[in-house]
Amino acid sequence: MMIAPVGGAKHRLLPSCTLIALLAALAPPMQANAAGTRAGSTISNTATASFDTGGGPTTIDSNRVDLLVDELLDVTVDSSNPADVPTTPGATGQVLTFSVTNTGNGVEDFALSTVANAGGDDYDPAVTQVYLDNGDGLFDAGTDTLYTAGANDPTLDPDESITVFVATTTPGTVADGNRGIVSLIAAAKTGTGAPGTSFAGQGEGGGDAVVGSTGADGEDAGAFVVSAATVTLVKSASITNTLGTADPIPGATITYTIVATVAGSGSVNGLAITDNIPADTSFVPGSITLGGSALTDAADADAGDYNGTRINVALGTVAGGQTRTVTFQTMID
Amino acid sequence: MRPALLFLCAAALPAPAVAANQVALDNNVFVERVSTDPEGKQRILLEEPKVVVPGDRLVFVLNYRNAGAQPADKFVITNPMPSAVRFADAGDTQPLVSVDGGKQWGLLADLSVQAADGTRRTAQPADVTHIRWAFQKPIPAGATGKLMFRGVVK
Repeated sequence: MMIAPVGGAKHRLLPSCTLIALLAALAPPMQANAAGTRAGSTISNTATASFDTGGGPTTIDSNRVDLLVDELLDVTVDSSNPADVPTTPGATGQVLTFSVTNTGNGVEDFALSTVANAGGDDYDPAVTQVYLDNGDGLFDAGTDTLYTAGANDPTLDPDESITVFVATTTPGTVADGNRGIVSLIAAAKTGTGAPGTSFAGQGEGGGDAVVGSTGADGEDAGAFVVSAATVTLVKSASITNTLGTADPIPGATITYTIVATVAGSGSVNGLAITDNIPADTSFVPGSITLGGSALTDAADADAGDYNGTRINVALGTVAGGQTRTVTFQTMID
Repeated sequence: MRPALLFLCAAALPAPAVAANQVALDNNVFVERVSTDPEGKQRILLEEPKVVVPGDRLVFVLNYRNAGAQPADKFVITNPMPSAVRFADAGDTQPLVSVDGGKQWGLLADLSVQAADGTRRTAQPADVTHIRWAFQKPIPAGATGKLMFRGVVK
């Protein structure tokens, strides 16, 4: 099966210089894919020609052209937290997770840095440490590696990723619903700059290093949202006596009502209401109620107890927007 | 970087080592660069491949010359694609291509490849493993010509 090139049987320069330029102008520029041919490898091209000039079939090789593939410097950073991470005022060890990927084609070291004061949020989380994951994707300050810029910059092969944890402290002054943004930046140690910037002889395998479309640095942001709750306690008292009046005479019964109201988007853990029995009064046994239901005086499975000097009702975790009502009675001595 | 169009035109009359049989095949590779001039117009330059990175477009130019006294019949030029280069196009030179390592040849549009699930699909430029130009008529003594194709560094 033989077909002729353009023009059938005629021989001519195919195509002309002008034609090459025109075709090139029509072709869309190609973007580099992730990684790609490894820096330092060689692209070799040789063509062969076979023909017969009367002495039988002959084959010749062209000259060989060898191209050294240079290093493309590219990196991306992606936040691994799909939504804002809840935090509370004053909380320490609040972690954002990022993934740093070498999208270049050579092994490269990357310097990491964080920015927490870029604006666009309500407060600046205080970055305390940056950790390099040990490979399990889970933050554990005991097993992950504390990062120190310039001392243990992560080295990544092409297409390799590393998980990075940014630990922060939330200021105590933040309010419920406040957002705080932290960005992680990774920059190729060989150099960064405008795409196309070249660093002669600094590529893997002896070629040049060339800044790719990412500028050889990457950045992404993660955010915290303050999820706080406040507790308000309101205590009231009412008196009944045998006279049928509200006078605080000896033998009168005082009913105390304590209403705990939790407000905010967060919740309160371990909430407990404790009240000492006032002097010159005696606790009325079995009088503790929670939400209208009686509680026993013993320290047992139910939430309430009386230990001789005070009542205590353990409310546990109460979410914002909820109230708890506790009552108990004393008698005036 | 040297502007390449001049270089390319100069290469139209190569002086490679001429084999005893008097037919020579010279192989050149250039990198296509897109630059935008101050007026915002895009310009395509062919440069010597001093720096090559993944995604770069390479232009392979093959110059042939029959320097002998006899016509060269059954003239066929074959270029295996370097493994790190994905075939893009061959301008209007209409080569035969192979997508199976050189076993079968045809126009790209007529070839198909087997997918992992056993079905066959139309061959794409990225499937090309070899390029071949087969001339129907002999190359006269003294004739020269040029062939080209483009590829992208994987």
